[in-house]
Amino acid sequence: MNQCYGCDTCKSADKPLEGFIQSLPMETSHHRVDGQSTKCAFGLQGVCCRLCSNGPCRITPEAPRGICGANADTIVTRNLLRAVASGSGCYIHVVENTALNLKKTAQARGELKGMESLAHLAELFGITEEDDYVKAEKVADAVLDDLYRPEYVPAELIEKVAYAPRVKRWKELGIMPGGGKAEVFKGVVKCSTNLSSDPVDMLVNCLKLGISTGVYGLTLTNLLNDVLLGQPKIRMAPVGLRVIDPDYINIMITGHQHTIFVDLQERLISEEAKKKAQAAGAKGFKLVGCTCVGQDLQLRGAHYTEVFDGHAGNNYTSEAILATGAIDAVLSEFNCTLPGIEPICDELKIKQICLDDVAKKANAEYIPFDFENREAQGELIIDKIIEAYKERRGSVEMRLFEDHGYEDTLTGVSEGSLKEFLGGSWKPLIDLIVSGDIKGIAGVVGCSNLTAGGHDVLTVDLTKELIARDIIVLTAGCSSGGIENCGLMTPEAAKLAGPKLRAVCEKLNIPPVLNFGPCLAIGRLEIVATEIAAELGVDLPQLPLVLSAAQWLEEQALADGCFGLALGLPLHLGQPPFVTGSPVAVKVLTEDMKSLTGGQVIINDDAKASADILEKIVLEKRQGLNI
Amino acid sequence: MKRIMIDTAKCDGCKNCTVACMQAHREGPGTIYDLDLTDIRNESRNHIEKVADGTYRPVFCRHCDTPECVMSCMSGALTKDPETGHVCYDEEKCGSCFMCVMNCPYGVLKADTATRTKVIKCDFCENDGGEPNCVKSCPKKAIYVEEVNV
Amino acid sequence: MIHVIIGAGAAGMTAAKTIRQADPEAYITIISTDEHVHSRCMLHHYLSYERDEKTLCFVDPEFFNSDKVNWVAGKTVKTIDTADHMVVLDDDQKYSYDKLLIATGANSFIPPVGQFREASNVFGLRHLTDAQNIRKAAEKASNILIVGSGLVGLDAAYSFLEQGKHVTVVEMADRILPIQLNEKGGKAYKKLFEDHGCKFILSRKASDTHMNENGEIDYVTLDDGTKIDCELVIVAAGVRPALECIQGTNIEADRFITVSDSMQTNVPDIYAAGDVTGLSGIWPNAMKQGQTAGYNMCGIKTQYIDKYAMKNTMNFYGLTTLSLGRGVEEEGDVVIEREDSHNYRRAILRDGKLDSILLQGKIDYSGIYQYLIKNEIDLSGIKKDIFHLSFADFYSIDERGAYSYNV
Repeated sequence: MNQCYGCDTCKSADKPLEGFIQSLPMETSHHRVDGQSTKCAFGLQGVCCRLCSNGPCRITPEAPRGICGANADTIVTRNLLRAVASGSGCYIHVVENTALNLKKTAQARGELKGMESLAHLAELFGITEEDDYVKAEKVADAVLDDLYRPEYVPAELIEKVAYAPRVKRWKELGIMPGGGKAEVFKGVVKCSTNLSSDPVDMLVNCLKLGISTGVYGLTLTNLLNDVLLGQPKIRMAPVGLRVIDPDYINIMITGHQHTIFVDLQERLISEEAKKKAQAAGAKGFKLVGCTCVGQDLQLRGAHYTEVFDGHAGNNYTSEAILATGAIDAVLSEFNCTLPGIEPICDELKIKQICLDDVAKKANAEYIPFDFENREAQGELIIDKIIEAYKERRGSVEMRLFEDHGYEDTLTGVSEGSLKEFLGGSWKPLIDLIVSGDIKGIAGVVGCSNLTAGGHDVLTVDLTKELIARDIIVLTAGCSSGGIENCGLMTPEAAKLAGPKLRAVCEKLNIPPVLNFGPCLAIGRLEIVATEIAAELGVDLPQLPLVLSAAQWLEEQALADGCFGLALGLPLHLGQPPFVTGSPVAVKVLTEDMKSLTGGQVIINDDAKASADILEKIVLEKRQGLNI
Repeated sequence: MKRIMIDTAKCDGCKNCTVACMQAHREGPGTIYDLDLTDIRNESRNHIEKVADGTYRPVFCRHCDTPECVMSCMSGALTKDPETGHVCYDEEKCGSCFMCVMNCPYGVLKADTATRTKVIKCDFCENDGGEPNCVKSCPKKAIYVEEVNV
Repeated sequence: MIHVIIGAGAAGMTAAKTIRQADPEAYITIISTDEHVHSRCMLHHYLSYERDEKTLCFVDPEFFNSDKVNWVAGKTVKTIDTADHMVVLDDDQKYSYDKLLIATGANSFIPPVGQFREASNVFGLRHLTDAQNIRKAAEKASNILIVGSGLVGLDAAYSFLEQGKHVTVVEMADRILPIQLNEKGGKAYKKLFEDHGCKFILSRKASDTHMNENGEIDYVTLDDGTKIDCELVIVAAGVRPALECIQGTNIEADRFITVSDSMQTNVPDIYAAGDVTGLSGIWPNAMKQGQTAGYNMCGIKTQYIDKYAMKNTMNFYGLTTLSLGRGVEEEGDVVIEREDSHNYRRAILRDGKLDSILLQGKIDYSGIYQYLIKNEIDLSGIKKDIFHLSFADFYSIDERGAYSYNV
């Protein structure tokens, strides 16, 4: 026997990572998949209800209703609405903090890095101010004002941000949201004990939550982030565990709120901090990217070449990143900070600091981000991390994996940088689509999970299938982290594409999979889609565009998905969102949705079969456009 | 003899039977609400496997007509009761050799996780009125007791 | 019908039970040298004082009464008069039979090294009488030498280590448990034993002895000249079948008693089962043979089919191991090996079928592997990892609720 914790780890699309995790002496999420392999079908189908003390009630042939009388349709859609409301709440929390941070920075006349984004937002919102700080403050206020409205007062920005044909349809359906926070409130009220029992009403409510999630959480968060942190620029960067440089004091960041790090990331490369690090025996500080905030930093990496080492991996790579031994601290401010990192941090003496108590980890020290005291707070954090560094280095085993990942991965893609790359217009891309050199566009987005064949297995396999069919893939979220660590975002990956897409990629020296960064950037994909649709003069559902959240993980993903459906896009999921126990939910999501918004849910866990379905939809849409 | 019959098509893998078995065989007193689901000493005599097509296979002791476990027991701890037909296990007699684990063709038996001195084996809840708790707990009636001819 | 069974081990006792079930009227007599019915596989628990004569018994203590079996204990069969259907005991008592089962088992083999065979402090560990003698001798012994690191040798080592004695195990092979385990599998046990104070000397054999004036060996010399002081020697170097009672009879034997698939010898009405047949040294197989013989002795034609014998389990210090098959890789085999901090697993697949498997650590639900090996189930179409297979993958259940394999 050797020192490995256990050989029964789940598969990973990233084979070197799979081997690395198997060799670790500590338990990770990958080890726990096996023990959870027999899943309860009541749970899987969403027909277990624990909303009252009569429960849990489960639906069986002999007991087709819960004690209260709720049938499978009611139970399933209540559970789904609850999940979507919760997921929406998460994104609304992120955009609220982002807007607050922008506002406070503007008031304090701090640095604003993305002036084009500011101008763009001001124009969208109809704000005409000369002074950039006043403009930024008003932009932030406009967002906050919408977020804080009651549910019965229509939000203002949605009509300004969203695509007009969509707004028209949403109005027809009566799903134009009110205040973003109040919508979450309404959602959780509606699905509580013995309130709504109307499955269709609850499903339609999910769409409404999807719209506020999408417009604020997914679209505006990015643009507000850009103002504070700088607009993405296309460049090459290394990815994977190779980015970790043990000569530095390394901080792994996890979460979704990049603006919390604005001050800290500058402070870490200050002469003062460097001196402190050097006194402790290190060359300086580095941030190691993990989860979506890492993707955000990677996306804007052009502005942070000194402090940022690169993106090491997605949520389910976080344990492996820590296990290298070269990480000295984890700074977390949101999900996807797995509880499973805690024992690893304890064992390897890694300091855990939490900056937002919504993601408070049991053994993390809580230092709530405080804008007014950000400077002193930054120093405090630096000192605590240095302390951890001194205590752990030398006494903790290193397990570096320097060959892992890829050196030249294309990153920094956004609606702005891509358009600029194409020469300031979408026309070249539209021409390629019209000519059939690019058959269509697929957004492979969302999370990473361990159960759709294993870690990133379906995501990566599906991506390969799609590019082989000349469908260009745009990614956002932890799917990006998995796909890039498997090499599909290097220009060399062009050879995995179909002949036409391959020729396009080789001509432009780009990979067939373009990384837009964090899950928040799903909003950026949709801006791209909207702008193309506008240029063509069609509505979104007509585009040869499909979405796949092949390995969706969490409630946020479900709220994202609802935005996709509200936009009228086909949405593929590898695993059903605990709804298959309800015939009504299944019918509405997979069929009736087409006539409601133009969207549809496709559930399939086989990469090839899923790609066949998505390709067929793309071809139908092309036919519809006569191309 | 009485046997726990299994309708695999009805099983939804909720593991109620597994938890009920753990509860029925726990050491101290208590209810299902305070059953420590993380204590390795609380072990189930049955287990549910999910197979590739997404359906479930309940693996329960059959109290076989010709029990291979009994035919491997070198301590006399495993015996087939001529009256009830059930295969009984006497923990006191057991020599912990686990030949029975090796010999059960259906992979029902296991060694106890905590001490590796006992075999985890269905006793048909003989001490609890002989009505298996797993059966009582199944919401789908996928398992039920029936008299079968020997 | 009069049934006489020689031997009260796994085969003999199972035969008696089988006969009683099949024929409530039969006369059954068991004649055994043993004065106590006992499980040979648990003698080490006697040495370690965890069990006594009573708790070594592997049948119900009331068995002889409840099943109406006449037991002639402490008597050895001298010879068999096959012409007159009669067995003759060492005290010249005679028992006639209609059907006879020879289940005399085996005795420890003491190799002719130095004065191993003459000395009073050298024992095999096979019968309760051996264990009783060893226990007495061990009372005043603190240095104990064990020759052979098979299961019996390690069982003995375990008992003495539990009593805080100095134990040295000499093994000819370069690893311990050489028949059951490969090197890696043996290593974990070696470490456990060493952690409990055991000393192993590998790749060496005893070549000579020194006997003191009391007729006791006080040191053993190994083939490299090393001298090992000892006050007690346990020789665990294998067994030889107990064939004494058939000497001079017309019952055929070629090292072991030759039997047909119905466990019958060349002489009609005389059967043999267990270690004396040399078919397998494994307890479950001895029971099966006894059962088969029992049925045939009652006229119920039964064949001994379940012959697979390359199987074993072991459990020392809570580390459990299941070992099936020879474990020897041949050209073209697929060998799958997995190792972590709690488990070592190795499987050999030959032509799409499982040939051997070793599971060390967790052996839960592993009963399926013996079935897969002995029935030569083709696994080439199964995508699942070999170590993750379960009965669920072959599941079939009939209207009586009995399981069977769907292959």
